[in-house]
Amino acid sequence: MIPRLHSFGAKLLLLFVLVVAAAQFATWFIVARANHAQARDLIERDLQAAATAFARVVEDRNALLAAGAATVARDPVFISLIAGEQDAATIASMLRSFQLRMAADVALAVGLDGRLLASTHPAAPADEIVRQLVERADQDPSPNPTANGYGYIDGVLYSLVVAPARGPDILAWLVLGFRIDPPFAQRLKEQTSGIDLTFVDDRHHVLATTLAEPAARAVAAASPAAPDRVRELPIGDETALVLTRLLDGGATRHASLALQYSLDEKLRPARATERTLLVVASGSLLVAMLLSRGFARRLSRPIEQLAAHTRVIAAGDYETPLTLRRSDELGRLAEAFRTMTTGLAERDRVRDLLDKNVSPEVATQLLREGAALGGEEREVTILFADLRGFTTLSENLAPRELLTLLNRYLERMSAEIERHGGVIDKFIGDAIMALFGAPVTQSDAASRAIAAALAMEGALAGLNRELGAEGRPPLAIGIGINTARVVAGNIGSHRRLNYSVIGDGVNVAARLQSLTRHPEHATNIIASAATLAAAGAPAGIAPRPLGRVTVKGRAEPVEIFAISPLSGVEV
Amino acid sequence: MKPVLLTALAALLCCATTLPAATAAGSVRVEVNDPKGAPVADAVASLMPLAAAPELTPPAEPVQISQQDEEFSPYVTAIVVGTRVDFPNRDKVQHHVYSLSKPKRFDIPLYKGESPESVLFDRPGVVTIGCNLHDWMSAHIVVLGTPYFAKSGSDGRASLATVPAGRYRLEVWHPRVAAPVTRELDIAASGTGTQVVSVTLRPDRRIRRAPESGAGGYK
Ligand SMILES: [Cu+2]
Repeated sequence: MIPRLHSFGAKLLLLFVLVVAAAQFATWFIVARANHAQARDLIERDLQAAATAFARVVEDRNALLAAGAATVARDPVFISLIAGEQDAATIASMLRSFQLRMAADVALAVGLDGRLLASTHPAAPADEIVRQLVERADQDPSPNPTANGYGYIDGVLYSLVVAPARGPDILAWLVLGFRIDPPFAQRLKEQTSGIDLTFVDDRHHVLATTLAEPAARAVAAASPAAPDRVRELPIGDETALVLTRLLDGGATRHASLALQYSLDEKLRPARATERTLLVVASGSLLVAMLLSRGFARRLSRPIEQLAAHTRVIAAGDYETPLTLRRSDELGRLAEAFRTMTTGLAERDRVRDLLDKNVSPEVATQLLREGAALGGEEREVTILFADLRGFTTLSENLAPRELLTLLNRYLERMSAEIERHGGVIDKFIGDAIMALFGAPVTQSDAASRAIAAALAMEGALAGLNRELGAEGRPPLAIGIGINTARVVAGNIGSHRRLNYSVIGDGVNVAARLQSLTRHPEHATNIIASAATLAAAGAPAGIAPRPLGRVTVKGRAEPVEIFAISPLSGVEV
Repeated sequence: MKPVLLTALAALLCCATTLPAATAAGSVRVEVNDPKGAPVADAVASLMPLAAAPELTPPAEPVQISQQDEEFSPYVTAIVVGTRVDFPNRDKVQHHVYSLSKPKRFDIPLYKGESPESVLFDRPGVVTIGCNLHDWMSAHIVVLGTPYFAKSGSDGRASLATVPAGRYRLEVWHPRVAAPVTRELDIAASGTGTQVVSVTLRPDRRIRRAPESGAGGYK
């Protein structure tokens, strides 16, 4: 299942998977972030709306209480109580009626001096609270002066409103209030979209909440001093967004309202979508994997096929056909491959033929440098070998036998020449022309030629023994060797070329060969002084000067030597 | 101790005045139930002779309806026409007792202790009294033209004893009935009988006193 990583398919698969995974993860990440941002926005908006709703509820309820307070404060009996001896217990008992009528949670009567006259609450509120309230009401120039604010009574937070008790002058102030308590918080929560509320006092104690107690304590503990910004707050194992509003207690103790909504709760539907997205992403990743695997196989299989075929070609098999047939780039590659195979096969055939027709060195040079008609002057040692008495031989033998014998002779001679690094230039009937030092330069070309000539003499002796055994007459050979600067190159027409050398030196070599026929020289091998000079003082031979001879076409006579092995030395 | 003594004295006087007039007297026990059969307290059962108007002898001393713990006590009081009622205030706070009922309108402004004056109820009918300070305070005075009446206890039973033989109209009233339930009946000399009266009660609309403030809140 898991492909090798150094294969093309594995790389393609990895690339595909990476690209798809990156795209999917990016999508998921963007969606998740957008969801998060949106949830935050929604909650923030809800929190702001809830804060506004709270303010409005309190405002409305204050207005209602203020209107009610103004009405009940006109009660003649109440007025007469106020105007009379201000019996606190009686006033307090009557305030309970007012509290009942207005469905308030507390009712207070306050003197014009801000002194508390009576209260329905057994615990008196701080003097500062009522004093401030009536002071502010007193500053209201309207005929129905009023004021409101938050105040603590016995540790419980109230929203308080003031109305005058008149008879007809303002004789006292009636204060009504409602409690900021859990039922109130609960009612408020029902009016908002599930926002939880926690009222916190200035000492971080919970006054009222819709939350469970530990969560409410966490909110109260984190309640900031000067808040108006939505904050994130971990509650339990969830994160909530919290908006805090200050409930102004004037110069006395403040309180605050913390509104919160769970971010996780809001994100729950989005999380479900994100999960679906992940499933889809995984699915598309899988599909991408399968697709890329298939594609990689379609691509890599022909490549492997081509590679395998390359090995076939390298092994020299041009016959096995490449079966790859495609219309794409790989198809074109296969086609080029086939063409190349054909070309290689052709070249091999040519090489084969060349090897048979020219010396391997010449063939190599031809293949390397092309068959150009160029030429160069270089020093070459030319060896001419001729079968002596061949004409007589040819008269006594049938043509077929003659050719067989000739080839047998040429084979042996050629072998010795080539063994010594010489190149067969051409066969001229029974004669052999061989080159040393061309086409490949050899520093010891001359001594190689001399060694080859001696070896040929030896080889012929061997052949003659065979012939003697066969009952045939022995063969004789004459070899001429000359070293000279000649022109080397491919000689012939465009259709037929031969690598060869031309020049005086070639004629001299041929002439030296023919000189071996003279009995007075008594040698099979004659070499020029130039060759001996080029060979230095070759070991194992004994050159015997034969004097100078004039060669046709050459002004200067050539000094020649008979070459034979040192007596007793067999080459 | 004093008002209890006075009320008992008034009841004694009442019985004492009616007893000699009856030559042959019977008694009736009235059982007042709601439609579900539960006993109804504070119902007033009275027997009005159909033959002739009975002779009424109001008590010499005023009947007392006190104010205690910012409530009237008793809640229902039955009296005969011509009875005087005192409204003593046993609270530390003042009260302001008033009636706007047709049989007797009155108003006793803010006071403490004994009522400044007793109120004479000289016409039959139901008088509802309240307090101008305390909305939850209310009481009923049933002023009757007959000396034969009784108030049901918590068991719903009202016993009318020493009723002279004759034909009567039984009337059962309760603060929550839309109209009194009436029926005619004969009372034989030395006869005893039980009248079961079912009354349909309207919702109790009395104002309830608020629980003391300061309760509740998140601690
Ligand atoms: Cu009262």
